[in-house]
Amino acid sequence: MSDEMVSNKKYRDKQKRKDGFISLFIGFFAFVWIFPILWTVWTSLRPYNEIISYGIFSWPRKLTFDNYVNAVEEMQIVGYLINSAIVTIPSVILTLFFGSLIAFVVTRYKFRFNLTILLLFTAGNMLPIVLTYIPVFWMFIWVGELFGNRNMFYNNYAGLILVHVAFQVGFAAFVLSSYMKTIPKEISESATIDGANVFRHYWNVILPLLRPALAALSVLMTTWIYNEFFWALVLMSDDSKRPITSALRRLQGQYVTDFNLLAAGAIIAALPTVILFFVLRKQFIAGLTLGSTKG
Amino acid sequence: MSEDTNSVSRRSLLKGAAVGGLGLVAGSTLAAGSADAATRLKGSTVRWTTRGGGATGDKIAKAVNDAFTKKTGAKVVAQQVNSDDFQNNFAQIMQGSPDDAFGWMAGYRSNHFGELGLLADLTREINRLKGTLPTAAIKGATSPVSKKPYILPTTYYPWALHYRKSMVKEIGMNPEKIDTWDDFIKLMTLTQKKGLVGYSLGAKGGWEAMGTFDILNARINGYKYHIDLLNGRAKWTDAKTKETFKYFAQLIPFMNENVLDISWDGMRDLLLQKKTGAMMMGSWFANDFKAKSQEDYDDLWVVPFPEINPKWGIDTIDAPLDGISVAANGKNVAGGKALAQFWASPEGITEAIKAGDTNIYVSRSFDTSSYDSFNKQKLAVLGSAKNIMFFLDRDARGDFAGPVVGPAIQSFIKKPSDINKILESVQSQWDALPKN
Repeated sequence: MSDEMVSNKKYRDKQKRKDGFISLFIGFFAFVWIFPILWTVWTSLRPYNEIISYGIFSWPRKLTFDNYVNAVEEMQIVGYLINSAIVTIPSVILTLFFGSLIAFVVTRYKFRFNLTILLLFTAGNMLPIVLTYIPVFWMFIWVGELFGNRNMFYNNYAGLILVHVAFQVGFAAFVLSSYMKTIPKEISESATIDGANVFRHYWNVILPLLRPALAALSVLMTTWIYNEFFWALVLMSDDSKRPITSALRRLQGQYVTDFNLLAAGAIIAALPTVILFFVLRKQFIAGLTLGSTKG
Repeated sequence: MSEDTNSVSRRSLLKGAAVGGLGLVAGSTLAAGSADAATRLKGSTVRWTTRGGGATGDKIAKAVNDAFTKKTGAKVVAQQVNSDDFQNNFAQIMQGSPDDAFGWMAGYRSNHFGELGLLADLTREINRLKGTLPTAAIKGATSPVSKKPYILPTTYYPWALHYRKSMVKEIGMNPEKIDTWDDFIKLMTLTQKKGLVGYSLGAKGGWEAMGTFDILNARINGYKYHIDLLNGRAKWTDAKTKETFKYFAQLIPFMNENVLDISWDGMRDLLLQKKTGAMMMGSWFANDFKAKSQEDYDDLWVVPFPEINPKWGIDTIDAPLDGISVAANGKNVAGGKALAQFWASPEGITEAIKAGDTNIYVSRSFDTSSYDSFNKQKLAVLGSAKNIMFFLDRDARGDFAGPVVGPAIQSFIKKPSDINKILESVQSQWDALPKN
């Protein structure tokens, strides 16, 4: 009896040590991750003057929200937020639509090249976008000129949305097809026997079952596309059409950059995604592990 | 494709009209030329890009563009873009659907794109402004290869020796008289004796230290040799170039230890915090002194880099020249040219200054009577030079300055004794560049 208690206690001690170690480990890395963000917040509260006079690591003499007030004024934030919405919302909807279509075909129908197609779409994601941007740029210009309007895609929301859809659809197809494989084949079989055609099978049978996956994926996609800056930069020549990330660039001068103001701007620009994350964090975490149990 | 050829023929038609216009205006005055432009432009839309500048930049652009609209009846649609983004994507922007006119930089950065056919030839406009532009500015705006100007020069700023008057006084020297190499060495030695940095330098970005190299080379070997060197007409392995680096090496013991870790703002902070004797930099940072306090700003001073070789005296200065360029692929090239000309004309300059522009304009019409003593001194420094360099990364081709010379200067600062090897490598990299 006492023997058992001793070993129990030993076990519990061991477990406690283990837990302590794990907490320490996680705490350390959490700190490493959160530190730059805390530092940005800290920087955003200090006036520029103090930094140039006393250095970055000096003890603060004054903490203010002035940087935030100035950033909101300088950034013309509302216009850029609307631009971000114009780009992000259609991109996410189209990506999910096309991604689910591909996933539907490659998982529900057996034909010779279905795995190849899936791999092809996923492989597109592996290309670094800086490699593809010059060809994409010229493609947009040439296709536009073919129709007599250089700006049909270039310097146009249509082009930017198209690029986002093209680059994200591979990942969406990959994730959704993994998820779709977990939906029993029998459901599809009975739908077919009941006389559902292909589109009805997709729209009325599979799509409703896909809802959790779509929700999770849309949160991820929104964050990615919202934070994306590169394509907007190279494919939009009008600054007034660029997304929120461009508003931040307004805060940088030709020579002198007020990093405290920039920090405040960065916090403001990051807020929507952070809020989105906290509101939908369940879906977010589901999204990260989506399809991980079956591949 | 047919649309493309159509638009080209339309464009050449416009050009034909412009040449005709030139013939008409050639003998007449500037005002008549503008009146001609006014009738042609009425009702058209011109697009304008401001490179950076924040709220003030927008305000200046609005003031000048509104005055242009009032004068010509052409509407101006303006936007502001981030300066670095615009510069880095310049080739794409110019090949896409660029705005008609925009602020840009003289030197290799306009000549190169002009010769590629992306920037419009502004010969007619620069001829109209001849009465107010100094010859040096016109020369600076003209490509040495095609002999055509692709930019209308407007503003510039000096790269020169900056220090704090109070600190020079403290070490027992006269802050108004730092003229000779010996004065300069003495200033650095005495400052260093106090436990401070004698000469502060940054080279983190590779370009900051180019200012020091430019001026040393121009003082020792003259303006012509320097420009020849940057354009492949002189050799980096030449004894003359090595002589320049001998002087450069003399400065290293006076420098801060973290040269490779700081950029221009680190240099500025050293001077702002009274930790350094002198530094060679562009004067744009002066506003940060003013932002700290008027006292700090009043303490700041600027002089030409001292003479080394009496043959050249102080006849050369690095003063990057900015101006207005016009996109050859814009929708309204004639309108862009007229707008560019307006920005560079006395009228446009007056509007810009009224709206809060603090730049120094090259135009003779530019009124400096309201200048404070630091700005007057800046003008005096600019005026002391006969030859204007535009800074190494604008005087030399882009694929050479940044990728080759920058790292070379960095490795020189790391290990000055390696200079022969470094210069051989620079020369061989120049030789390996594709010649066009």
